[in-house]
Amino acid sequence: MQATAIGTVTVTIVLLGAFLYARAVLVHFGADVLNQIEISAYLQDGTSPARTEAMRAALARDPRVLSVQYVPKKEGLQQLRRRLKGEIDTSILTENPLPNMFRVRVRTPELVPAVAAEIRKMPGVQYVNYGQDVVGKLLQLVAVARRVGIAVIALFILVAGIIISNTIRLTVFARRREIAIMQLVGATNAYIRMPFICEGLLDGLLGASLAVAALEVGRASLVPRLVAALPFVASNVVNVNLGSLVPQLLLVGAAVGLIASWISVGRFLRT
Amino acid sequence: MISLRGVSLVYPNGVRALDGIDLEIGKGDFVFLVGHSGTGKSTLLRLLYREMAPTTGEITVDGIRVECLRRSRVPILRRHIGVVFQDFKLLTDKTVWENVAFALQVTGAHTRDVIRQVPRVLDLVGLSHKSRMYPGELSGGEQQRAAIARALVNNPKILLCDEPTGNLDPSNTTEIMELLLRINLKGTTIVVATHNQAVVDRMRRRVVRLDNGRIVTDEERGYYFLGLGQSQILSG
Repeated sequence: MQATAIGTVTVTIVLLGAFLYARAVLVHFGADVLNQIEISAYLQDGTSPARTEAMRAALARDPRVLSVQYVPKKEGLQQLRRRLKGEIDTSILTENPLPNMFRVRVRTPELVPAVAAEIRKMPGVQYVNYGQDVVGKLLQLVAVARRVGIAVIALFILVAGIIISNTIRLTVFARRREIAIMQLVGATNAYIRMPFICEGLLDGLLGASLAVAALEVGRASLVPRLVAALPFVASNVVNVNLGSLVPQLLLVGAAVGLIASWISVGRFLRT
Repeated sequence: MISLRGVSLVYPNGVRALDGIDLEIGKGDFVFLVGHSGTGKSTLLRLLYREMAPTTGEITVDGIRVECLRRSRVPILRRHIGVVFQDFKLLTDKTVWENVAFALQVTGAHTRDVIRQVPRVLDLVGLSHKSRMYPGELSGGEQQRAAIARALVNNPKILLCDEPTGNLDPSNTTEIMELLLRINLKGTTIVVATHNQAVVDRMRRRVVRLDNGRIVTDEERGYYFLGLGQSQILSG
């Protein structure tokens, strides 16, 4: 009976933990992508070198800006040739269609839209691009993941709570004679409740501990293989460990055990 | 010590378990509740230790108004009342000593008090030599004595007994009743619900007779059957 309760908590917390871990990896990955965002500011043809230098100096002075790189059109074409090499015949690029440009990197991803908007207003700037679509979608994805995450977590915890509460109720039922006698000789409800609460708490903690162990084993063996098999997954995912998830999961296990046993014993004592 | 005024209990299905009960039981009294099965003897006892609450009426036990007692105060009431049952209600996985000590421990008593009180009541019921045995190793009479010891360990002023000799043979029955009498002589108020005619007739105590949830007679030195005393006097 107790094994059922502990097993249920274990399974639930493993699922919860795996979910939270996946989310952490996603956030980490997303942050990684966002941190690599740079703003490309394309200049109008014929912008004077003095004006260009003034813009560069202004951007370099901005405390939000991490780095500014000036890419003249010739160099831009070389870079484009290098990037497209082998994919299309670059010899057809007889004329240079690229304008001069700045590559600007800012300190945090959240600053990108604001800085981009300011650059756009500078005279001589024709066009600003920072992958607006991609960034917007990524931010949206993270927001959705977070919202769905809260719902899924709530569901998991509810299920675990119901199962623990049922298990404790079975334990209470098995000991109903003892409880009836305790009530008869004048034991308070708190006194009667205590051992069951302790049991629920212990079940929850034990289940959560097993789950944490299982998660760590799973992470240590699965993630490196996953990274090896999927080259596009950033290898720094390996560095995302369970870390702060461990106390959270243990706390969830203990809380679920405590609350569930409290409710199930309470229901019995009221009758 | 115990007072019931206009107490009625009506079940949700409309059955009247008790109907307008008025009863006064004084300190140190010994009272038999008699009547057919289902006439409300056990129900009346349950009202006294607040296993149930009456639909209407007032119940006072040892100065406590029972019917309007808050749930959290019920344990306090129970510590003033010892209850003994036909089926003993002992914990089978605990020794006699542990069963008796249990009743003290649940009230949060000190180990010191447990060590002092448990031998006292075991001695009173004559089970000191069997304190380490389990209920399953005892005779019915001994089990009931253990249950009485448990009921008494909190020094209650009232002892309620619901068919205490229902599962016992005549010699054990006699022993238990003598024990109850001894406890009564120490000043404990005792109420016994019983079917046992021999016990009631031999003891000649106050007899409250219930029928269909009503008190039909209340005799100071009564017999199990109404009027038996008079017929015996006539024939003798």
